[in-house]
Amino acid sequence: MQETLATSTLSVPSRSSISTQDKFSTAGQTSSTGPRPPRHSIVPPPSKSKGWNSGTKFHQMRRTIAEDTEWSLAIVPLLTELCIQHIVKNFQNNPLLKQLLPAHQQKVLNLLSPDLPLAVTANLIDDENYWRRCCTQRWPVCHVAKHGGSWKRLFFERHLENLIKHFIPGTTDPAVILDLLPLCSNYVRRLRVDQFLPPVQLPPPPGELSDSGSDVELEEPATDHYQLRDLVAGLSHLEELDLVYGVKDCGMNFEWNLFLFTYRDCHSLAATIKACHTLKIFRLTRSKVDDDKARILIRSLLDHPALEELDLSHNLIGDRGARAAAKLLSHSHLRVLDLANNQVRAPGAQSLAHALAHNTNLTSLNLRLNCIEDEGGQALAHALQTNRCLTTLHLGGNDLSEPTATLLAQVLAVNTTLTSINLSCNHIGLDGGKQLLEGMSDNKTLLEFDLRLSDVAQESEYLIGQALCANREAARQRALNPSHFMSPVMAKGPENPAG
Amino acid sequence: MNPPGSLGVLEEKEEEHLSTPILGPSIHSDNPQKRIQARRLRIAARPEGRRREVLGEYLDGKKESEEDRSKSYRQKEESRLKLAKLLLCGTELVTNIQVATDIREIHRRVEEEEIKRQRLEKLESEVKTSQDKFDEITAKWEEGKQKRIPQDLWDMLNTQQVHCAGLIEDKNKLIGELQQELKTKDDQYVKDLKKQSDDICLLLERMEEQVKNVMKTFRQELNYIEKAFEVERQELLTSTKKKWERALQAHSAKELEYLMNRIKKVEGYEKQLNKQRIWDWEDYNMIKIRLEQDVQVLEQQLQQMKATYQLNQEKLEYNCQVLKKRDEESTVIKSQQKRKINRLHDTLNNLRSKYAQQIKQFQEENQSLTSDYKRLVMQFKELQKAMRHFAVVDDKQFREIWLMNEEEAKDLMSRALDVDRIIHTHHLGLPWTAPEFWFLRNVGPLSQQPQKSATQILEEVLMQAEEEGMEETASEAESYLDLPKQISAKTTRKILMLLCDESGFLIESKLLSLLLPLEKNECYLLRLDAIFSALGIESEDDLYKLVNFFLKYRIYHSPSSQEQTSPMSALEPGEQTDLEGQEEESLVEGKPEEKEALPSPRLIHPNDVLKILEAFVMGLKKPRNSRAPVKLKYVQDNSKDSEYWEALTTVIPDTTQSLWDALYTGLEKYHLLLTQRAKLLVENSSLEQQNTELQMLLQQYLDSKINSELQVPPTQVFRVPTK
Repeated sequence: MQETLATSTLSVPSRSSISTQDKFSTAGQTSSTGPRPPRHSIVPPPSKSKGWNSGTKFHQMRRTIAEDTEWSLAIVPLLTELCIQHIVKNFQNNPLLKQLLPAHQQKVLNLLSPDLPLAVTANLIDDENYWRRCCTQRWPVCHVAKHGGSWKRLFFERHLENLIKHFIPGTTDPAVILDLLPLCSNYVRRLRVDQFLPPVQLPPPPGELSDSGSDVELEEPATDHYQLRDLVAGLSHLEELDLVYGVKDCGMNFEWNLFLFTYRDCHSLAATIKACHTLKIFRLTRSKVDDDKARILIRSLLDHPALEELDLSHNLIGDRGARAAAKLLSHSHLRVLDLANNQVRAPGAQSLAHALAHNTNLTSLNLRLNCIEDEGGQALAHALQTNRCLTTLHLGGNDLSEPTATLLAQVLAVNTTLTSINLSCNHIGLDGGKQLLEGMSDNKTLLEFDLRLSDVAQESEYLIGQALCANREAARQRALNPSHFMSPVMAKGPENPAG
Repeated sequence: MNPPGSLGVLEEKEEEHLSTPILGPSIHSDNPQKRIQARRLRIAARPEGRRREVLGEYLDGKKESEEDRSKSYRQKEESRLKLAKLLLCGTELVTNIQVATDIREIHRRVEEEEIKRQRLEKLESEVKTSQDKFDEITAKWEEGKQKRIPQDLWDMLNTQQVHCAGLIEDKNKLIGELQQELKTKDDQYVKDLKKQSDDICLLLERMEEQVKNVMKTFRQELNYIEKAFEVERQELLTSTKKKWERALQAHSAKELEYLMNRIKKVEGYEKQLNKQRIWDWEDYNMIKIRLEQDVQVLEQQLQQMKATYQLNQEKLEYNCQVLKKRDEESTVIKSQQKRKINRLHDTLNNLRSKYAQQIKQFQEENQSLTSDYKRLVMQFKELQKAMRHFAVVDDKQFREIWLMNEEEAKDLMSRALDVDRIIHTHHLGLPWTAPEFWFLRNVGPLSQQPQKSATQILEEVLMQAEEEGMEETASEAESYLDLPKQISAKTTRKILMLLCDESGFLIESKLLSLLLPLEKNECYLLRLDAIFSALGIESEDDLYKLVNFFLKYRIYHSPSSQEQTSPMSALEPGEQTDLEGQEEESLVEGKPEEKEALPSPRLIHPNDVLKILEAFVMGLKKPRNSRAPVKLKYVQDNSKDSEYWEALTTVIPDTTQSLWDALYTGLEKYHLLLTQRAKLLVENSSLEQQNTELQMLLQQYLDSKINSELQVPPTQVFRVPTK
């Protein structure tokens, strides 16, 4: 107080005294003006003249300070906060994060903008909250659970997928994707690309292309899609590759050559997956993969060290492709094989059955919507008599009838590993249903058995359902885990929309 | 829930306690046995009661908890099943669409295939017909070329045109059909798309519905379960509250009761205390008076006692003085005695030291002597060893030398005999017989003939006895040259059998078990072998000694059984003096008649066998100790040796020698004659040679040419003896 008095009287005030005076003066102002927005106090308008002018009213002001209940030191921002704000503002040029205290790091991360260039943030920021903000800003719907619960992973995976989806060979610069590679290689574990754009063909107008499908095939090299080789080679943690060579939302611009999976694509993809030793799941669906292409792909997958799941559903694979897949069964650690909606017939199924008979890895085999008929079905049933590994078998829509059912009934009585069989949309017939029922009466492990629309008598279907219920109860008792009971239902969920 | 149960049990227990003494024997009964019984019963009842208590509690608890739990548990189970069913049905409902699409797709595929096939067929047929038509047209072109008349040509061209138009129309029709089909397909595709979108919509709807349904039911079931739990909890609460209140009431009632009891008791005690106090006061007064009286009496007594004390004191003082005097005297005597003791002690010590010294001296002496003795013994043993060694070596050397000499002698003898034979057969023309001498067959020193071992003899005896049991008398003399004549094989055998039967204890049990399957004779043999090894019988002599001993014992013993010890004593010195067993011979020889009189050892009682054996073993031990007999044998044998060697010299008798001499002189004469003849023969031959030489010369001269030149050849002069 003495000092303030002194400053007011002294003609040459020191710098420090001025600052204090300023403070007081501003404080005084706020108090005098009553309810004022606190924003003002953060950026105080320091004016010397005001302080000098109001120096005479000090006494009065001080009394009012004590009475002002709203005034507090908290309104004045701390230096650390100011610093943090500064750091946030200049983060792009000078990213400082690791050097800060954990509490301050958190603050900085909360304030950072999601629009910062990835080159800065990718390897620096691990905070999930930041990446969640990034994700929610870009995409309205985010299933973080599908990306291992990691927002960062989700962001990079979807970002990369987006880039690939919109890559047009020949026009887009490959560097766009490859530049991202060092930033995202540590986080991307799964690539799910459901669209590969073909290169833009400027000269031919759409009318010319539509009537000459054969011409397009001749110009095959021109319709090659983006080559994944460089990208996949850079992704050291890639585990899942889910590709669809096709174009989405083409609308009335439909052309057959939009949906071409060329031989060069195929060879390049084969080399890519062969080089990727971390790959566990490989899916190539709805891409018109025929026998030859399937063989090329599968040859490259032989003796792959990590591959566990192969999904080639909704393609054009025939018996030769199925034979190649059978070979793959005995030369890899494949757990899941999906050949749904292909053109596998009896010989293909027989070769698969032969491989299955001595296989000890495969747990799930899906041959839905093929045409393996009774011969293939019988071969598979024979194989299941020796197999001790397969748990799930989907043979829906395969034109199976009573002989297969007879053999399967025998298998059911013996096998103790199968938990789920699907025989829907076949012509099992009444007698076949009865035999299956007999087989079920000796089985204690089967939990699911789909016989819808397969000409089985209602009664036997109901009785089989009863037996399955009993088996489920037993399994539940065994596991003492209620989630086990529901898991098959959950597993089936994602498949439904596809069908 | 538990307290009532336990209370009930407690009550029951109390009842039991009350009931048992009434029913069973009482602890307080007069009969002690009854009392014991009662106590036992009580002890037995205690654990039983406890067990029943625990069991009852457990059962009650279990039942109740089951009841309690069952409500919520049932609800949970019901909900679970319901939800599972719901989920299953929902999934089925949702997947139904997929299945339906699948089957539709299958049907479509089948149809598509059929249509494709039909279309292909149609196209093929069409191609065929159009080809035909085309061929027809082209054929007609050829025809047209030949036509010359323009009218015809025009007609034909027209028809051709019509045909072509027809063909084209056909084709166009086909194209139109196909395009129509394509259009319908397009429509179909659009329809399919619509259908699929409808399906997807339906699917989504159903899924949403299911989600809603499931959520609703889950919530509902959750509510139910919660309600069930709540109800259960409420029930539990009310029941426990009731119980609590009941218990509290019981408790307060009991407390009131206790309080009343306590007040009553306090009043009673107060009354008692007052009474006691009054009574105590009176008592106290009475005792006081009596005690005062006692005090007076005691004071009087005290006075009296003081007077007597004075008197006694004086008496004691006098006594004390007397005793002091005596004490002095005794001290003097004591000192004297002590001195005496000291002196005696000194002497004793001196004597002791002397004694110790002497003991030490003698011990040293003794030690030196014993060491001397040991050394001597050692020396003696070594000497004996050396001696034995030398004896063996000597023996060997002797044998070798003997053999060498014998061989030499034999050689010489055989040569002599050969000569003799030649002389006899060649020169004298007499038949020659080889001389038979006992020494010719002998090999090795005479004294070292191997002695037969006891077992060998045994074997022989047994075998012999078995074979010639009948004609023992005949064979006896032949086979047992070595045996003392008086002992027949049969007797020996019998004695041995007896021994074998009686002294089975000397055989090891293991051996006995091994012997069981063997033949009787072998069995005996092995048994006897074992017995002999136990008794220490090794050689033939020992065996005979044993047999003889038996017989002798029998002889001595038979006259009087009371002189049991006398034969032993008589025997022992005899054996000691005569180590070679000559004594036994003399004994045996002395009593041959007696033995003949008692030929069978059957008369030896089996019980005596042991005694005999004992005596024999005692007797046998002593000769074993010395090695004297070995030396004596050599001395005795020397005479035999010399006899042997001398006998060797006389292999060619004197008569033959004189014969040889005579022959020698005759032969010498013959030789002389022969030499003369030889000389004459030589002369004769030389003369013959001279004669032939001369004849040759003469012939030469006669044959020479000069003869023919000569007028008178000398050949004509004399007749030449031609050949």
